[in-house]
Amino acid sequence: MRAAVEQRARAYRAPLNTPRTRLLRRFPTHWLFLLPMLLLVVVFFFVPVILNLILAFTDMTLSLRWEFVGLKNYVKFLQDPLIPQIAKNTLVYVSATLSINVIFGLFLALLTTYFVKRENVGLAFRSLWLLPRMTPPVVYALLWIWMTDPTEYGLLNMMLQAFGLPPLSWRTEYPMATIILVNGMVGASFGMIIFSAAIKSIPVDYIRAAKVDGASDLGVVRWVILPLLKWPLMFVTTWQTLSLLASYEYILLVTQGGPNHRSEVWSLYAYYKAFASGQYGYGAAIAMVLVAVAVIIALLMLRIFGFRRLMELMR
Amino acid sequence: MRASSSNSTPNPNPTPVGAAAVEAPPRRRKRKREYAHLTRFARTKARLYAALPYVLLAIVSLPIVVMYSWLLMNSFSKKTLFGFIPQELTLNNWRFLWEPLRIGTSVHPSIWTVTGNTLLFAGGVTVLIVLISTLAGFALSRFDFRGRQSIMQLTILLHAFPGVTLMIAIFFVLLYLMKFTGLPFLNSLWGVVLVKAALEIPWSAWIIKGFFDAIPWEVEWSAYVDGCNRFQAWYKVILPQIRPGIAAIAIFSFLAGWGEFIFLYTFIFSEAFYTLSLYLNSIIGEFQVVEYGVVAAVALFYMIPVIVFFIFTQKGLMQVTVGGLKGGR
Amino acid sequence: MASIRLEHLTKRFGNVVAVDDLNLEIADGEFVALLGPSGCGKTTTLLMIAGIYEPTEGKIYFDDVCVNDVAPKDRYVGLVFQSYALYPHMSVFDNIAFPLRLNKTPRAEIERRVREVAKLAQIENLLDRRPAQLSGGQQQRVALCRALVKEPEVLLLDEPLSNLDARLRIETRAEIKRLQKELGITTILVTHDQIEALSMADRVAVMHQGVLQQYTTPEELYNRPANLFVASFIGDPPMNLFEVRYRRGGELELPGGRALRLPEPLARRLEARRLEEGATLTLGLRPEDVELSETETPEGFPAEVYLAETLGGDLLVHFRLGDGGDGPRLRALTDPERRVTMGQRLWLVPDPNKLHLFGPDGRSLLAEAEEEAPVPHPQRA
Repeated sequence: MRAAVEQRARAYRAPLNTPRTRLLRRFPTHWLFLLPMLLLVVVFFFVPVILNLILAFTDMTLSLRWEFVGLKNYVKFLQDPLIPQIAKNTLVYVSATLSINVIFGLFLALLTTYFVKRENVGLAFRSLWLLPRMTPPVVYALLWIWMTDPTEYGLLNMMLQAFGLPPLSWRTEYPMATIILVNGMVGASFGMIIFSAAIKSIPVDYIRAAKVDGASDLGVVRWVILPLLKWPLMFVTTWQTLSLLASYEYILLVTQGGPNHRSEVWSLYAYYKAFASGQYGYGAAIAMVLVAVAVIIALLMLRIFGFRRLMELMR
Repeated sequence: MRASSSNSTPNPNPTPVGAAAVEAPPRRRKRKREYAHLTRFARTKARLYAALPYVLLAIVSLPIVVMYSWLLMNSFSKKTLFGFIPQELTLNNWRFLWEPLRIGTSVHPSIWTVTGNTLLFAGGVTVLIVLISTLAGFALSRFDFRGRQSIMQLTILLHAFPGVTLMIAIFFVLLYLMKFTGLPFLNSLWGVVLVKAALEIPWSAWIIKGFFDAIPWEVEWSAYVDGCNRFQAWYKVILPQIRPGIAAIAIFSFLAGWGEFIFLYTFIFSEAFYTLSLYLNSIIGEFQVVEYGVVAAVALFYMIPVIVFFIFTQKGLMQVTVGGLKGGR
Repeated sequence: MASIRLEHLTKRFGNVVAVDDLNLEIADGEFVALLGPSGCGKTTTLLMIAGIYEPTEGKIYFDDVCVNDVAPKDRYVGLVFQSYALYPHMSVFDNIAFPLRLNKTPRAEIERRVREVAKLAQIENLLDRRPAQLSGGQQQRVALCRALVKEPEVLLLDEPLSNLDARLRIETRAEIKRLQKELGITTILVTHDQIEALSMADRVAVMHQGVLQQYTTPEELYNRPANLFVASFIGDPPMNLFEVRYRRGGELELPGGRALRLPEPLARRLEARRLEEGATLTLGLRPEDVELSETETPEGFPAEVYLAETLGGDLLVHFRLGDGGDGPRLRALTDPERRVTMGQRLWLVPDPNKLHLFGPDGRSLLAEAEEEAPVPHPQRA
């Protein structure tokens, strides 16, 4: 009897004695799981942020020689005759697109989740509006290039023709409007998805109670739904501000920022300076402004919303 | 006020009202007449009113339908009426499938090489993202350690942070990685795979963490008691249960890689490594005016995964996209 | 099988003390229940024994070997959860076979042992199904099989019956108890249901806010609760508790001024405690230990019927104590044949041998002076 107990006792002790268990116990396994992510994040987020900061103080060009020039890039930047126009473009682009994204996104969400009572129809329309977002950017840009084609083959010009009007060169006549619409059509779906989820999570009893109390559909929207969308609205606004400031892919593809810098925004200007004219140092200095603004807005977001709420909103 | 309006109209259904009116108090009688009146037009009105949102949605969504149907029609026809009503059907636009496209003296690479590159790129991005984010998501969801909260906050911030602003610096990171290791980080698909995966991982780790969170602790504990160590519990018991989550991030990572343009455009210089986005971008410039049909066919070909995805994952789409929407694109 | 000893076991989550200095000994082959309201630390204790939580302080011994540093998989424990925690992606067979596969048991033996244990639990015909296709009772059996198949030293059950419907619960209760006795396996049951604990376990440990209140046999627990918490927690309907004043010479003054004469041994025991004249004590009286009388008796106390509820086999009568029916509330169980009406005046006659008395610190005054009540009931807000 005693022997059996001893044998079991040895069994309990045994696993402790292998060197492998000892090592595993001492080593914090979670870092092993996190290591690959942290490695990539450090190499492609942290290092670039610091590198960008350093590059902005150099005269880096295609020759790839490190020459520190102090604040020269920033002085140049203040004297750059294009900067005022770029800044104005950016402001117009971000604010106009943002309004489309938020207001039209809300409009789509309300229509597809509240006003349209048939779930399938609402879902179908929401999917349709997600299509531009899922489409590869080059294809989506192509659709807009065709739409705004200056010859009589473009869709808008065909419509003009139907009214007997001569074709218009849309992209050169209205470059800002074009890039705003291009981005708005994609951006609206972000607000749509966030708002739809928020509307769906409103307990249906609130809406029923409001109806019984005599509210019309618009009344329900005004007095029940909108007040409950406060946080999602703020979230979409800040989030989209951040991403619009940095987005230039569609602009690069559709108008190339032209004609004559008329649709060129901050981020695209930095990109061109670096990769088209090889002025990496100057490009980094211009981009630094964006990086700084992005970091500030991101941190601000964490402050305003708080970690908890941000997590809920991103679900 | 309502009562007066009901008095002024003839009662359409007098019998039951009269019968009940004998005993009902006056206010009740009035209400009853009012109900009858309200029912009269209510149905037509309600029907019109209910149709309005559908009409509105249809109108605002029309441009999208037109744009994409243009793509489809143009790729199969020689000429179109109003841009999207096909006149003469042809497969000539799809000739890029069996012969390289030529313009003037320049010959574009074969579509199959390019498609192979794209698959390699998107596949690489997917594998890397799924692998790394399932590891990280598990640690964030299941381990309690100092710094966990900070790493989660960081993940959210990085997800919000627009990585494209760092393009210039990332170029130098790749440049110096190449210098120090001697491996081709620039002008190679693998270099851009790393960049793309790094930018998407905060999002995917975040999403997959949510899936891990949904698995009851008891199941994991059972695994430990049954004889698993942490790694075994992770891949034998927990991973099989979050297959839907893995599928979701795999699909989204694949499509993100498939559609990627700007990083490839900036960091790939030779045609040998062209992906479909670069290929399409180069022929847009050259064929645009002459033959929209060819461009449309290539674009449609390029869209195939997106279309497949749309057809098969209607419902699931909505659930996962919320987090999957990155930035202004 | 293994005997278990917990020494000064403490678990803190941040500032919250989940388990506070727990000492417990469980003999080889014994069936012990950890009983307490939710949040009392019983599940935390179980998870520490399983090796899933690491104790903040204290030690866990299996057969006199400290297993604090032994991984769960090496502790030879079987664990059944309230939610059963079956692996949804595996068949019933694979679920049960999982622990055996992990310790690299030969194929043929896995097959044999799984079938054997499935037969024991009468689920042989379900082996090909998925957990989602099973009823709650069946899932529970599968979970039990999975815990038993590796022939554990210790079986840990965390609220295993809570998700079953009432009838199945009674059946399974008996079955688990029989199985435990048959296999002679050391078993710890965590439950908030006193009937479950009292009916199944050899000994019951009552916990409250992380502190062990009393650890003894079910009979003792019921008949001699060590403190106010145990007294109020054990028993359904719960024990009547009200404040009384101590009078020298073996009398208690009840609210309303009437006096209750204590039986001789009890009076002597109280005398030995040297209580102050007029000290406030708490008198406990189980509803079934009260007789109802329609006429005045010298030992009886007048009370007014407040409400009567029929509980199947019994009639539960609520009273207000006192001549005018304005004293504390009190419950008594009686024969359902008896007719009582609201507002009726009756005399309550307590069984003098079944009185419970608690001092100002909440501890029982009936325990022998040298036999200290285990831990004082902490007075927390």
